[in-house]
Amino acid sequence: MRRITVGGAALRGAVSTALTISLMSGSALAAPPVDLSKWSPEYVRSIAGTQDFDTAGDCAKVTPLDYKGRLTFWYQGVFEGDPDLLRQYYKDFFATFRKTYPNIQLEEQALTYNDLLDKFRTALLGNAAPMAVRLQILGGTEFASKGYLQPLKPEDVGYSTEDFWPGAMKAVTWDGVTYGIPTNNETMAFIWNADIFKRAGLDPNKPPATWDDVVKYSKQIHDKLGIAGYGLVARKNAGNTPYRFMPQLWAYGGGVFDEAKANPTYKEIELNSPQSKAALQASYDMYVRDKSVPVSALTNQQADNQPLFLAGQLGMMISHPSDYNVMLDLQKKATGTDKDKAQTVIDNMRYGLIPTGPDGKRAVVFGGSNIHILKPEYVEGGKVDEPAAKAIICMWTSPEWSLKMAYAGSNPGNLNGFKTKWMKERLDSIKFLDVTTSMLPYGIPFPALPQSPEIMNIIVPDMLQNALTGAMTVDQAADDAAKKVKDLMGGGL
Amino acid sequence: MTIVSGKAEARRTLQSARSDVLRKMWEHRADYAYVLPAIAVMLIVIAYPIYYTIELSFFNTPPGLQLRDKIFVGFNNYTAILTSGVFWQVTFNTLIWTIASTFFSFVLGFAAALALHRDFIGRGVLRAILIIPWVISAVAASYIWKWIYHSDFGIIGAVLVELGWAERPPNFIDSVSTVLPSLIVVNIWREFPFAMIMMTAGLQTVPEQLLRAAKVDGANAWQRFWHVTFPHLRNVSTVTILLLAVANFNSFIIPWIMTGGGPSNASHIWITHIYELAFGRQRWGVASAYSVLLFIILMTLGYFYVRALSGNERKDGGA
Repeated sequence: MRRITVGGAALRGAVSTALTISLMSGSALAAPPVDLSKWSPEYVRSIAGTQDFDTAGDCAKVTPLDYKGRLTFWYQGVFEGDPDLLRQYYKDFFATFRKTYPNIQLEEQALTYNDLLDKFRTALLGNAAPMAVRLQILGGTEFASKGYLQPLKPEDVGYSTEDFWPGAMKAVTWDGVTYGIPTNNETMAFIWNADIFKRAGLDPNKPPATWDDVVKYSKQIHDKLGIAGYGLVARKNAGNTPYRFMPQLWAYGGGVFDEAKANPTYKEIELNSPQSKAALQASYDMYVRDKSVPVSALTNQQADNQPLFLAGQLGMMISHPSDYNVMLDLQKKATGTDKDKAQTVIDNMRYGLIPTGPDGKRAVVFGGSNIHILKPEYVEGGKVDEPAAKAIICMWTSPEWSLKMAYAGSNPGNLNGFKTKWMKERLDSIKFLDVTTSMLPYGIPFPALPQSPEIMNIIVPDMLQNALTGAMTVDQAADDAAKKVKDLMGGGL
Repeated sequence: MTIVSGKAEARRTLQSARSDVLRKMWEHRADYAYVLPAIAVMLIVIAYPIYYTIELSFFNTPPGLQLRDKIFVGFNNYTAILTSGVFWQVTFNTLIWTIASTFFSFVLGFAAALALHRDFIGRGVLRAILIIPWVISAVAASYIWKWIYHSDFGIIGAVLVELGWAERPPNFIDSVSTVLPSLIVVNIWREFPFAMIMMTAGLQTVPEQLLRAAKVDGANAWQRFWHVTFPHLRNVSTVTILLLAVANFNSFIIPWIMTGGGPSNASHIWITHIYELAFGRQRWGVASAYSVLLFIILMTLGYFYVRALSGNERKDGGA
């Protein structure tokens, strides 16, 4: 069994409910270009390749193609964990932009996820920011709340707000004003090695149903085979950590605040609730009690789990659909018997839905990126070339490029991207894509607060590290983290 | 009458001194013109940042506000630092890091310098090899060592398991008790060549005739080292130790790249902690207060460094 079928009645039932709750709440919806209430792998397949779009023609209505100007632009680019396919699409995008707008002098700069926020913050302090920036979903609110960003909504670049995921629009809205446009949105999935499952005495075609099962399976794999079961990631200041721990936290019914609810208020801190502590206990059980996860989890990122998985030394992990392509890229670079071993792992790679909590709750981080325009006073030279900025934003958020730039690892921010021929192409060429697309309705955005980057990148990983190193008990670590969040929200030093 | 004449006399003396200073400045106007660009640059890139850091240390900078909207909190940042548990943990780590790195780098470097001071075949090659850790990029070295130490598939762990000396790979950088010593080893590996070069230079200044005379007088190798060689190296040793101490106090690359200060702050030293406070958490005010404290400590070390250098110059001048 090479492809996992995750459609079916259960999924469809859950999809319509969860979708309505987690993503459609918020703004009053007009008519989205796709029917979100029918969202399923089958529906996504049925709409793929049904519509053509003229990107240059659409963007010409926003900024004439012969417009002469200059644009500085920073973006979260590809990094070591991305597949080569995505690198090529990034190259193609900038080449196409230069060809489409030959008179715009584009000065782009790519930064990795972990460096972008630090560098951007520093540049802002020196009024040396770029004119436009593409940030991780976590960053938009912080900069909007501080007044660095210009109001910017999809209508400003020729699209409609309804063309984008409602949940994603929440992440670019602060105080009722929209400050950016989503470029891509993604949810991860659960990946396992069927061969390892088989050798450990587990059903090779059945992923763990609950997080308690993950703990059990991880121990069983470690005890029987002497390798790591689950690819826990707990490094501080790395986006990979909250993307893997928050689904666990939410599934157990916990949260930092009430962000998992349909209409979060972010008033009550729930990081030390019994449910949150149960989620932390599950990580503790795997790392300390069972020693069934990589010892290096505290310094690892997901990019470190990939070679472990490919070497057949890791049974399960949470990641993007692009990991399949990453494995293929890595396998090509392997030599001798390693190449064959890697191929065996790839053949046994399976994708499934992320496990639920004890009460059947399934959750995943609603991730992605947004694109923004800066206010002139924070930009080097004190000027923003708005038509040039809108030209690149129109192009990146177009159905064509929002799909292509998310080709291997994400989904188009513009829902019309699902209708393009490239969507059809990638559904046929990228394995397991439908699984991660199926996780979208379970997506929960990070709290839309300026404090979110610190909470997700520092406080939550600190809590994990404090518990996993034995520096604190699980209870103490959760209480300590809750106190830090409380102090942070209270404007503490 | 006497009082009036005394005041007048004092005024005249003051005026004379002023005109004397002005005259001297005028005579040296070309010299001042030569150093003016350097002074201007120093004022811009050193004096202003120091002033701004001190000013910022009295403000709170919550993540929801721009820096220009900072809130004055007086000495609250300093109080918050001194009463926080993390401060003492980070200070303890910094002291251990600085003292251990400086001491062992110096001892190892000195030993290497002594070993390489004698003439033997392959000395040049060996000296070049030993300098390699110091000349390669600290960033590259940190990544390499991260993989060497890797708790699951690091080469040290693999060798130990292969030889049957360990059941599973030792946990070097994912444990609160071993992470700091593990990083200190990397730092010593990178820094001892610097001490070696400095001490090699110092050894070359020890007068050969004094050593020969001591030998003729019956002094053994240890006595010659202790009574002749070492006193000649006192000043260069002081300077080397001070430079190492300042560099170690200011270390950033190795701990930041290898562990990011973790796990559980166990490898956070002052600089990495300040960086995280400022750039990760945007606590510019608290980070500035930390920086001011660090500045005072480093200035104190700098004072001793300058004194040691001045001592050298006086001694050289008097010789």
